[in-house]
Amino acid sequence: MLVNLIKKELLIELRSKQILVSMAAFGLSVVLIFAFSFSVSQSILETFAPGLFWVLILFTSVLGLHRLFDYEKEFDAFSLVIGAPVDRGTIYISKWISGWIYLVVAEIIIIPLFVLFLQLRWTQPILPGIGILFLGNSGIMAIGALISGLAMRARMSEVLLPVLLFPLVTPVLIAVTKATTAYLNAQPFILWQFWVLILASFTVIFGLLGYLLFDHVTEE
Amino acid sequence: MRFFDKPINNSLLSILISLFAINLHIIISHTPMIPQQHWAQKIFYLHVPVAWTAFLSYFFVMVFGIMYLVKKDYCWDRLGQSAAEIGTLFTALVLTTGPIWAKPIWGKPWIWEPRLTTTLILFLAYIGYFMLREFGGHPERVARYAAILGIIAFVDVPIIFLSVKFWTPEIQSHPQVEMAQQPGGILGPFFFSLALFTINWLMMLRFRSHTLNIKQKLLSDHV
Repeated sequence: MLVNLIKKELLIELRSKQILVSMAAFGLSVVLIFAFSFSVSQSILETFAPGLFWVLILFTSVLGLHRLFDYEKEFDAFSLVIGAPVDRGTIYISKWISGWIYLVVAEIIIIPLFVLFLQLRWTQPILPGIGILFLGNSGIMAIGALISGLAMRARMSEVLLPVLLFPLVTPVLIAVTKATTAYLNAQPFILWQFWVLILASFTVIFGLLGYLLFDHVTEE
Repeated sequence: MRFFDKPINNSLLSILISLFAINLHIIISHTPMIPQQHWAQKIFYLHVPVAWTAFLSYFFVMVFGIMYLVKKDYCWDRLGQSAAEIGTLFTALVLTTGPIWAKPIWGKPWIWEPRLTTTLILFLAYIGYFMLREFGGHPERVARYAAILGIIAFVDVPIIFLSVKFWTPEIQSHPQVEMAQQPGGILGPFFFSLALFTINWLMMLRFRSHTLNIKQKLLSDHV
């Protein structure tokens, strides 16, 4: 059933392309703004790059998170989804995974241009970087999908979502920025494994909480 | 019936006000001066109990949230809302008294000290909580969502604290001596203040949930 739900999410997105296009366009616009705004030395820019990158990803993810539930408000489609004989927690997992996929696709477009426009050097092996991206995206989307579900039916949901999300996602932002900085500076893993542990714990805790609480989020 | 029309509540309020006056007198006149900190240290007798009250409130927002989700009784929601309001008031006080202490001790009012930073993040999260209550729509849905948010916010506290602590390892937590090593003249007044603030918290919680109950009753009578 989970696979079917994810398929449904991806199929709708493949037809409308609303989330991906808006995320990628927004991400690229912010990269351009960054490039125009900072006239600092390369070493300073490289120091700030991990933080800038994850702030950019967090802002981009808000667009995707908002649409993740928002499009189902039309014709009250969400009531039909929760009316289906599916465990509500599974709906949360499907939103989490599809949001994660949208974020990865947006990052595939944003990252090369972020490196190119800010003229950053990336000489580290790619695999640990992918691991950090994987965990960072998972953490953001684990809590993001739950918060988006809460904000969906409120008035001013587009304002409420970032106001609720940003303070609660702080540990992910700190951990993922620290891990990215350490990785780009070629520090041994033992020095930054703590941050990976924080990311993994956050993802597991909020993934479980989301799975357990989503039943109450979707009560009619 | 108004809350303070009840003789017991009225007497409790009078006793609390008197005890707070005594507490202030003890703090100013009967606690030892700490070398290097002098008068700035006196705020410790208020700052720590205020912080304790704030986190106690947020803990109970989570507990009342769980109770609401299990029982579906609005009285738990009103208790949760009361605790959240008191918690946010006390969090604002923590964020005020912390920098007042920090300025003469550290030379700056704000240095991303982990406990204060965690408090600030929680304060921001609870601004979102009240926005959700305001814009959430149907009262039943608002109660449910507020309960869920209260749970999420409190579960996040230890992770926020840990990540902030290791984000700036050069900034230590408050450079205080362990409680057991504090001189006797400090411990007594400190625990007196702590107990007083806890009783005050209970009183405030009762008062606020009482007013919310009346508001709810008036609304349902009006409908």
